[in-house]
Order: sequence, then C-alpha cells, then structure tokens
Amino acid sequence: MHMQGFFLGLSNGLTCLAYCTPVLVPFMLGEGRGVAHNFVALMQFLAGRLAGYLAFGFAAWLFNVAVLGRMGSKGLFIGILYVIFSSLMIAYAIFGREIPCAVRSIDRIAGKIRIPLLIPAAAGILSGVAFCPPFLLAMTDAASEGSLSYSLFFFFMFFIGTSIFFIPIPFVGALRRLTALRIIGKMAAGIVGLYYLYAGIITLIAGVKGI
Amino acid sequence: MRTDTHQAPQGEGRGRTIILTAIMAVITAFMFSGGKIPQDPKEAIALILTFLFANVLFFLLIYTGKTDRYRAVFFSTFAVMLIISFISHMFEARGSMSLSEAKIFQCEVPFCHLVIPMTLVPMALTRTIIFPGSLIEGYAAIASMFVIWIGATLALGRGFCSWVCFYGGLDDGFSRILKRPVIKKINPKWIYLPFAVLLFVVLTAAAYLSPTYCSWFCPFKAVTEFEAVTSTKILIQTIIFVSLFVGLVIVLPILTKRRTQCAFLCPFGAMQSLTNKINVFDVRIDKEKCVKCKRCIQVCPTLSINEESLEEGRTRITCMKCGKCIDNCPKGAISYHIKGTDIPGKRDTYRLLFLFAAFLFLAIFSSHTIQSGIIRILKLITTGSMIS
Ligand code: SF4
Ligand code: SF4
Repeated sequence: MHMQGFFLGLSNGLTCLAYCTPVLVPFMLGEGRGVAHNFVALMQFLAGRLAGYLAFGFAAWLFNVAVLGRMGSKGLFIGILYVIFSSLMIAYAIFGREIPCAVRSIDRIAGKIRIPLLIPAAAGILSGVAFCPPFLLAMTDAASEGSLSYSLFFFFMFFIGTSIFFIPIPFVGALRRLTALRIIGKMAAGIVGLYYLYAGIITLIAGVKGI
Repeated sequence: MRTDTHQAPQGEGRGRTIILTAIMAVITAFMFSGGKIPQDPKEAIALILTFLFANVLFFLLIYTGKTDRYRAVFFSTFAVMLIISFISHMFEARGSMSLSEAKIFQCEVPFCHLVIPMTLVPMALTRTIIFPGSLIEGYAAIASMFVIWIGATLALGRGFCSWVCFYGGLDDGFSRILKRPVIKKINPKWIYLPFAVLLFVVLTAAAYLSPTYCSWFCPFKAVTEFEAVTSTKILIQTIIFVSLFVGLVIVLPILTKRRTQCAFLCPFGAMQSLTNKINVFDVRIDKEKCVKCKRCIQVCPTLSINEESLEEGRTRITCMKCGKCIDNCPKGAISYHIKGTDIPGKRDTYRLLFLFAAFLFLAIFSSHTIQSGIIRILKLITTGSMIS
C-alpha cells in the first residue's frame, strides 16, 4: 500500500517533467553557471515542492477527519472520487492540451520576488500546489486511510516518485526530446487513469454492498 | 568512400551463396540435431524438414538479395508452429489451455520474454523473479530465456522483434494478407504508446511485485495459456486479452498492413527499441541515392521511417531491422549498416554480417519449436490426434 504514492508519483513524474521543464529551466538554471549552481537551484526547487506536498498531505488528513470520517459509507465516497478523478485523467490524456499546473504561473510571480535566490523554491512550492488529475487522485488516496502519518508518508512517496525525473536536469539542462516525452507522459497518465477507474469501480461496488 | 554502385539490392553470386549456405548448413545441422539422428521416424522427418526449410530460405536470402520476403516466411512459420506445439503440449500436460491456481503456485508456468521488462526492477530490489515459472528446469525455463534474450539483444537490438520473438510472426503474417491497406492513415503518435505501456507495467510490477502486463494485457494468452475464469476479475482480464488479440494481432494488421501489436502496444518491443542505441547494427538511408519517393515510409510495418528521419538518412529508434524498406526501395538507397562506418561503405559485407547473426538466432531459437510442430502435424495425419 505504501508503494501506491511512489507509483502514482512515478507515473505522473514524466508528465510533470515534460510540462514543467520548459517553464522551469530558465528560472532554475542560469546560463553557464555550472552544475554546482544548478544543483543548488534544483535542491531549492525540490525542497519547495516537498513543502507544498506535505501541506497537502496534512490537508488530506484534515479532510478525512472532518468529512470522510463522519460519513456512513466512506468506501462509497472514495470510490466516487476515484471514478471522477480517474475519468478526468483519461479525458486529459485524450483531449487535454495544457495540464492545470500552478507552476506555469511562475512567469508572473518571479517578477515580484525580490531575492532571486528564492525563485526556484517558489517554483517548487507552486509545483507542489498543483490541481492536475493525478494530484487529485493522490489526495483521494492519501485521505482514504485516516492517519496523519499515512497521509504525510503518501505525499512524501509521491514527491520521491515525481522528483526522480528532475534529478538529471542540472546535468543536461533542457531535455532534447520533450515532445516525445510529453506524448508518452500523457499516454501513461491515461493508462494509470484506466487503472484507477477500475480500482474506483471496485471500491464503489464494495461501498454499495456495505450500505 | 563509395564502394558500391548498384541500384536495387542484389544478391551474392552463385558460388559465394553456396559457400555461405554450406557454412550455415553445417552449423544448423549440428545445432538442430544436437549431434545425433533421432530413432523415431517422425522425429527424423521433422529434423530433416526443418533443416531443409531453414537452409533453402537462407540460400534464397543470400542469392536474391531480398531480406524481408524470406525472413517473413521463416518468422511466421515459427509463430504458427509455436501455437501448434505449445497448445498440444498444454493439452498433453494439463488437459487444457487454462492454468489452475495450483499450477501457478507450483511455479509451472512457461516463461516468456515479454515478462522481462517487468522482472528487472523487482529482481534488483528484492532478488526474486516475480513470475511463477521454473528457474532452470522444464519447458521454457526462466534462466534459458534470459540468456537467449541477452545474447540476441547484444547482437540485434530491436532486430529481436523481427528475427527472434516467437509471437512477432503472427501480426507480421496477418499484415501480408491483403495486397493494399484498407486503412492508410495512422496517427504517428501511436508509436509512443508502447513506451507508455512499458512505463506503466514496469512501475506497477515494481510497486505490486506482480507481472501486470501478463495478467491484464498480453494478447498472446489467447493462443498459449490463460488463467481459468473463476472470478469477475479474471473474466474482465479474459475479455481484454481476447479483444487485444483479435484487434491488434489479426484485424488491424490485415487492414493496415502494419504490425500493430508490435508497433503500438508491446512493452517488450519498446524496451528493445532502447537497446537499438547500444547495438552495432542499424539501417541507414544513403541520401545521395534517395529520390524521396517515400516508398519506405509506406511499407515500414512499424512507422519507423518518417519524413524527418528520411531527411536525416536514418530510421527511428523503433526500427526492427526487418529489411522490408530495403527490399522495397527502388533505388537501393537503404541498407544494413555498422555504426561508425561510411555510408554505404561495404554494404554487402554489413548485410552478410547482420544476416548471419540474425538468421542464426532465428534458426536456432526456432528449430525445436518447428520440429515439434511438424511432429504434431505428422501425428495428426497418422493418428487423427495431435496429442498422445
Ligand atoms: S514487438 Fe513484442 S511481440 Fe512484436 S516482435 Fe517485438 S517482442 Fe515480439
Ligand atoms: S525501417 Fe525498414 S528495417 Fe526498420 S522496421 Fe521499418 S521496414 Fe523494417
């Protein structure tokens, strides 16, 4: 069960990379400033991202305590959320052009940040506050168990899964085959969506039986 | 340096062809028979027929200069014989094609190379192989499959998919039934789907320590073995794999004249594409000879040549080295090539080197299967049943 966050993060990470890199690279990596500088910027970005994710882990737990825990059939509700978010994920894979990721607004926000060193961290926090379908699925998953440690751990694993793809950035700068990666990332998101749709339907059926 | 001037691909002279075929004949005679002539007449007939079949095709391949035409005959025969011998074997050993849970728990499931991408991460992390097969004993043991895969991958890269895979001959065969495609336009984005499937199955296999592709998607279960339907989940899985088999292995290859399963679904094929990067052989286009007629783009069964790659004089990473574009290029501009050498350079030598390696893999890997298929057919003719 603990691997679920990691798995969802990994399957989403390629999409994050394909969509975020063109926006992030100019802010994170200064021209010709060398691998060491890029590495520090990447670390700031990842720390910001982790902070964003952990905040959502906490929010998922709160949601569970305040809403889910008081419902008669939690399974039914979780099943419905799974079905809705996985359908969104499939729809996004088939039709969507732009992923709704907050990091895309870094362009506007960066101008307002006085200390340039903080820009990568701000980009990280923004990327950790995404409302893309896989992220919403992760929220549902994290909220399904009920304990704070589980929610935080789930988002921590989601963070690790998505971050793996960012590690090569300081070494390669922008990746060459972004279009191909973007298509593969989207298709993978569609397949993961199908998987969660199936899981959602099963949870839903179990929830209905439990009433 | 240009050492070659001829247009469409030409074969070797008769003398050279005979010498090369004689070398292949000696190797295959030894490998097919294991050094002894079988006592059983059916086995002896099967051995002789397989030997003649392989060597006549090799002779034609070398003599005519046509690659894909004769490769496809061998490759598709291999796939058909696999089905005949595998299904008969399953009926003989278990009485049906379906697998019971007991057999899965006893680790008696024959291993197939399509599982390999899913086993690598769990193997590295947990030192276990997430497949209920036998490691070294019995039919299609895991260790022997890994050895064949590593060897063939080093020698051929994604050429594996046109020369070694025992399933590839099915959609390859069906894609040749019609003379012209009924569906002509295919969105080129589909060639990325196997990479997405690869990503998904590798991740899920690592997360859940189970070969997801085999359980949910593999179309070839329809002609080999599958879990007995004992639950709704298995029923859904059965509907998925049967639909994929009918759609991607039979109907779409016929209508599009492309290898749709291999080009648009198979995660193993995607992994093999990545190994093309480290393989010494590739297929290159001589830009000076090419007249941009785009015949190669039309015939490639895996959409591995597009206008951009044509412009660069290369095939794409998904090329299976089947030789179809080479056979069809009216100007002889496409050829097998060794990376780092001139183009066209010694193209005939490169072709011979590639063909020797590829054909040996095909012949040796398929010989047992073809012989056993022939024995089953002979049994059917003489006793009315394929199983004893
Ligand atoms: S793509 Fe897959 S099925 Fe096709 S030849 Fe390659 S391994 Fe075999
Ligand atoms: S590019 Fe040529 S050799 Fe490669 S798969 Fe296509 S037809 Fe076969």
